[in-house]
Amino acid sequence: MAKYILKRFALMVVTVLIIATLTFFLMNLLPGSPLNEERSTNEAVQQNLEAHFNLDEPLIVQYVLYLKSIATFDFGPSIKQPTETVNSLLSRGFPISAELGIWTILTAVISGIALGVFAALKHNGLIDYIAMTVAVLGISVPNFVLATLLIQELAVNLDIFPAATWSSPAHMVLPILALATGPMAIIARLTRSSMLETLTQDYIKTARAKGLSPVKVIIKHALRNALMPVVTILGTLMAGILTGTFVIEKIFAIPGMGKYFVESINQRDYPVIMGTTVFYSVFLVFMLFLVDIAYGLLDPRIKLHDEGGG
Amino acid sequence: MKKWLTVLLGILLVVVLAACTADENAGEEGGGEDGEESTSEDSSVLRMNNGAEPTSLDPPIGFDAASWNVLNNLMEGMTRLSQEHEPEEATAENIEVSEDGTEYTFTIREDAKWSNGDDVSAEDFEFAWKRLLDPETASAAAFLGYFIEGGEEFNNGEGSADDVMVEAVDDKELHVTLTAPTNYFLNIISNPAFFPINKEVAEEDEEWFTEAESFVGNGPFSLTEWEHDNEMVLEKNEEYWDAETVQLEEVHFAMVDDSNTEYQLYDSGDLDNSEIPSDSAEELLESDEVTIEDQAGTQFYRFNVEEEPFQNEKIRKAFALAINQEDIVNYVTKMGEEPARGFVSPGFNDANGNDFREESGDLVQYDAEEAKQLLEEGKEEEGYDELPEVTLSYNTDDTNKSIAESMQEMYSQNLGVDVSLENTEWNVFLEDQKALEHQFSRSSFLADYADPINFLESFTTDSSMNRTGWSNKEYDNLIAQAKEETDEEQRFQHMYEAEQILFEEMPIFPIHFYNQVFLQKDNVDGIVRHPVGYLELKWATKE
Repeated sequence: MAKYILKRFALMVVTVLIIATLTFFLMNLLPGSPLNEERSTNEAVQQNLEAHFNLDEPLIVQYVLYLKSIATFDFGPSIKQPTETVNSLLSRGFPISAELGIWTILTAVISGIALGVFAALKHNGLIDYIAMTVAVLGISVPNFVLATLLIQELAVNLDIFPAATWSSPAHMVLPILALATGPMAIIARLTRSSMLETLTQDYIKTARAKGLSPVKVIIKHALRNALMPVVTILGTLMAGILTGTFVIEKIFAIPGMGKYFVESINQRDYPVIMGTTVFYSVFLVFMLFLVDIAYGLLDPRIKLHDEGGG
Repeated sequence: MKKWLTVLLGILLVVVLAACTADENAGEEGGGEDGEESTSEDSSVLRMNNGAEPTSLDPPIGFDAASWNVLNNLMEGMTRLSQEHEPEEATAENIEVSEDGTEYTFTIREDAKWSNGDDVSAEDFEFAWKRLLDPETASAAAFLGYFIEGGEEFNNGEGSADDVMVEAVDDKELHVTLTAPTNYFLNIISNPAFFPINKEVAEEDEEWFTEAESFVGNGPFSLTEWEHDNEMVLEKNEEYWDAETVQLEEVHFAMVDDSNTEYQLYDSGDLDNSEIPSDSAEELLESDEVTIEDQAGTQFYRFNVEEEPFQNEKIRKAFALAINQEDIVNYVTKMGEEPARGFVSPGFNDANGNDFREESGDLVQYDAEEAKQLLEEGKEEEGYDELPEVTLSYNTDDTNKSIAESMQEMYSQNLGVDVSLENTEWNVFLEDQKALEHQFSRSSFLADYADPINFLESFTTDSSMNRTGWSNKEYDNLIAQAKEETDEEQRFQHMYEAEQILFEEMPIFPIHFYNQVFLQKDNVDGIVRHPVGYLELKWATKE
């Protein structure tokens, strides 16, 4: 196990390095520059700016500087907000995105699994149809549409929750609802279908025949196996949601880190692009690693060792 | 089974821990909100939206509206623009200008104080202005300091700070020498880039401008809270020399980026001011809560005179005259803009007190007949049987797209020409435009300072704003003369002639002048928005 983890860890470092290198060169291939302005620009002013951000160095020197910044996890100042460092932008935005993300995932997982299980148990019954209609709606309505709708109805018309900004638990309700609905629907559908499959297995019949109570059979035997597909998507889902979502954060004016992923690229803010990319890839790779570990623990047949797990 | 339970517990633990740290934040922020609730009753608290976190509150670095909105109310330069947008003595009590117009002597008022109680000194200005020009500072606004003798040399590395002719003669007196008489110098130095910096504070803490606790200003308001990316709170600065004029007790700046959300917050009473979301513009523009202010700037189109068919003046004119600007403003942009008949926007008075735009007249006016005529003549001159293909380029944006499509329609109807459209992402678009790779492209100009020369100098041969390939010696000369001229009447004469030439040869043509459209609650009054883009809350009131 320890050997496996060590090996996985080395692999993770290599993966992040490859992602980072690719991003660096792709980013520099993009036409345009962070210092591109529509207004008239003066040559000397432009040169001073380039020198300030090391943009006048040859690409390879910039690459080395960049590798250094990854190694020390210090990405220097943002070019578009020159008196802020990338680190401070991320360390400010991430806790907020993560706070929103954790509540979103909890909501999505708990309600998704519950919906899925009930739907499977009442297969082809009324509850099943209601649950699956909700799920289909949840998957097909984009979260920004839902967000606008929620604001208009619950905030502006009924005045139950604040419309936007980020300052109290009440402010979190609408964005969590808007964000959680999609993942909840996916989880509900996954749980339902794998529950249905599991429930027909022989060992479930055995468990029932042993005289275990229905609740015990479902929770201890059926659900445990049915959760495998849910765990699979949880890794990517967590990395995606915890690091912020551009659209929802923009609509609700939440000061998370989601906007940096999109805006840094539009603005060619190189240090921020690199910072967000490295941060996200480290996070994602780590989450996938956790998922693999969770597999082994959920299903004893999956052994984590050198040849196997991956 | 046990293992599975351990994992579940483990995950729960992580979640709970994370939620706990999150809750701590939430608690703090919740506290802030309580404060908000108690003050929201207070009538002298103004709630504005800044749209985004300011780029920087370091005066020479934050060179954009998002920074100016805040900075202009936290600090003050030698001059401040009045309610009529004219520069007035501010931190300076008295300004003397030499006969030849190149020497300025500023006397700082006795009661000009920093928010920490220090006196504002001439040395603070010398320090700030030289820092603006220092190549190490890498300020995008540094070029504004080139009017000062030695400024350009210091900034481009040929000179040193000591050669910059800004000198604190004593505690209260600042002496400045300009390279040429510049009548609008007092206007330029109202720009936040020229705000003083408390030298003592800056030397002790290089990052004094990054947090509310360390920020030291000298303006009508002081910064009391700054929750980055979320909210700024400004309170009336009792140390300000003109504090009795300031009516508001508190100003909150939210940072809501989405214009629909902004409007919803306005609608639910959480903001006193909002931009108009473009999808509901038509209906909201009718509301009596709308205020429309001029903005010094022009949306226009550039021809590339190095590419066929726009090397021909008549064809350029034909394309300009075939556009009905009135229709674009009324049916496409629909934000109450004024159609542009020249490049310099209204609001600049000449020596006789006449508005530049009115005096210069309508230099381009929709005329489908004449356009068609000109196109025929142009085609003949060039020996074209068929006009070479024309591609109109714009940067990807809904409004730009609608304008481009309606122009396409007008060309087809008025000239019988099929123009193809092409759009690219903003940064790529700019890169191509600067490299003269477009044939015919959408452009915009926003003035850096309030003088027609700032508009017109864009199209001199070596201007980085030219981007048309157009070059005219007479035009270049007129602009150069206007920059040197001490006599106001003569100076405007040069500029009038220059604009005439620009439109005789038509390397560009304008669509509309920009404006600033806002919804504002009825009980709010006195907010001043200068055409050059700074927001002024000094005179604002809320009942």
